[in-house]
Amino acid sequence: MHVGGEVDVRSAYCAASVASLTNVMTPTLFAGTAEWIARCQNWEGGIGGVPGMEAHGGYTFCGVAALVILKQEHLLNLRSLLHWVTGRQMRFEGGFQGRCNKLVDGCYSFWQAGLLPLLHRALHARGDPALSMAHWMFDQLALQEYILLCCQCPAGGLLDKPGKSRDFYHTCYCLSGLAIAQHFGSGDLHNEVVLGIPENCLQATHPVYNIAPEKVARAVMHFLQYPVPSLDPA
Amino acid sequence: DEIGLIPCPEARYNRSPIVLVENKLGVESWCVKFLLPYVHNKLLLYRQRKQWLNKDELIDITCTLLLLNPDFTTAWNVRKELILSGTLNPLKDLHLGKLALTKFPKSPETWIHRRWVLQQLIQENSLPSLATKGNLGAAPVERIHRLVQEEMNVCSEAAGRYPSNYNAWSHRIWVLQHLAKLTVKVLLDELSSTKYWVSMHVSDHSGFHYRQFLLNSLIRRTVTDNNTLVQNQMVNEQNPSLQKGEESAGTEAACAEEQSVDLPRRLDEEMELCTELIDNYPGHETLWCHSDETLNNSHHSPAASHMAQAMDVDGLNEFSSKQGYTQETKRLKRAPVQDSLGPEMEYRFVDKVLSTCRDVDQARFATAYRKWLVTFLGQ
Repeated sequence: MHVGGEVDVRSAYCAASVASLTNVMTPTLFAGTAEWIARCQNWEGGIGGVPGMEAHGGYTFCGVAALVILKQEHLLNLRSLLHWVTGRQMRFEGGFQGRCNKLVDGCYSFWQAGLLPLLHRALHARGDPALSMAHWMFDQLALQEYILLCCQCPAGGLLDKPGKSRDFYHTCYCLSGLAIAQHFGSGDLHNEVVLGIPENCLQATHPVYNIAPEKVARAVMHFLQYPVPSLDPA
Repeated sequence: DEIGLIPCPEARYNRSPIVLVENKLGVESWCVKFLLPYVHNKLLLYRQRKQWLNKDELIDITCTLLLLNPDFTTAWNVRKELILSGTLNPLKDLHLGKLALTKFPKSPETWIHRRWVLQQLIQENSLPSLATKGNLGAAPVERIHRLVQEEMNVCSEAAGRYPSNYNAWSHRIWVLQHLAKLTVKVLLDELSSTKYWVSMHVSDHSGFHYRQFLLNSLIRRTVTDNNTLVQNQMVNEQNPSLQKGEESAGTEAACAEEQSVDLPRRLDEEMELCTELIDNYPGHETLWCHSDETLNNSHHSPAASHMAQAMDVDGLNEFSSKQGYTQETKRLKRAPVQDSLGPEMEYRFVDKVLSTCRDVDQARFATAYRKWLVTFLGQ
């Protein structure tokens, strides 16, 4: 993650995310990265921090999103991944847990639920005939209920679960998760599913970068104007 | 051997806030808001080259800081510099980390620093000239073994202090991979020493995942060993003049036999453990997950089959080079195995659970498990 620091799948996502938006992807930059990420997928179907580790929502998102950027999602077993992530939505709370047998947490509204748009896209690219054209493969309304009813702090901001205090991290990821749950697809296939009054509807977020889709487009267009930097000294 | 914060909002008496009882260190909470900014500031001034601190002061200050907030990376990094310059004994940092973990069992920076220190120690170990330094009494192998054991203890303690402690269990796996080199002995030792622990922590998914890791590593080990054995056999067949003496070939075969015989038994023991825990503690998803995966492994384990050694070498190579342990890979690549009684027993067990349990979650898990048995095992 930084010089002399820990190595895990998050850094692959950070690097892929930044490099793709700023147009600095060189052929050698990510040599072997996709294969390494694939090794982080384990018997549970999810992805751990490093190969051999327990499947975890945060790391799974980072791994899958990085592979989507590198166009190598097919290296994963998408079926077991789908089975794992859908099993993480809690049937009573409606929100998601980060790992099997753990408690629900608002931030996983993004890390876990955010996997379903990515999986939908990957499976669609493989020509899967069973995919819905209107909904993601998780209970979008139940997640919205959890976030809106349980994760809001009366003084503003959002949180992990009732009883916890608010912080910027949970505010960010609860809102991101809410956006994912409210918006299916884009363009002609866009389908809004909003719980409660229409004013609850947020702007859609980009499922890979988690910033507004227009911003992704603008960033990419801007940096495409510049040549990819070369590693040779001038 | 342990630190903690004593809730004490006001300094009532004019005395030191440090309390030491039976080797346990306590700090009264009122002083933290004075102490922490003070030492923090001192260290930052040093880092900004605005105020010099000598080595002893640095050691003291970082120690204080890290016991109050072990996620302060800069303090650990100062200590890294001291270790690299030879002023600080790395073993001290292992002890400091251990102490910090008694209060902050998840602290990511503490675990990360610990791995850095251990890496330094292994490097020292591999340089024979340094192996005779004063503080390294024992032979390198013995030393590594002791380090590994100590790490297992530290991980176990930390895992007990916080449920499903991802960082503690990751560290434990890392130590086995990089220090203990995943030998069969250490894998088996760990299986037996964690058995009691997981039985006392039936919802701790990380603990059970660790056992899956151990079992998977054993399976991989067995495949590699069988692979070597088969390769040797093939080489011997082609070149009789190169054939090893009967004794050593016999020993090799015996070793492989031992290891390949162990595995089905280990997997059966694991299933027994699962069954017992599921019966005793209804409604824990982790136990069912663990059961799923263990059964999957025992049904498909190549070591369970005498045909494993007859598998063509290419097939084995392909398997061991594919690091991803996905269920599809396993199903496609393994040779057919002899029928085990596993699935039948499992059906009986699940049906029994379904007819006798009163816990709603338990019933749900059992139903899902039964569906899985039918779909994946095709029986």
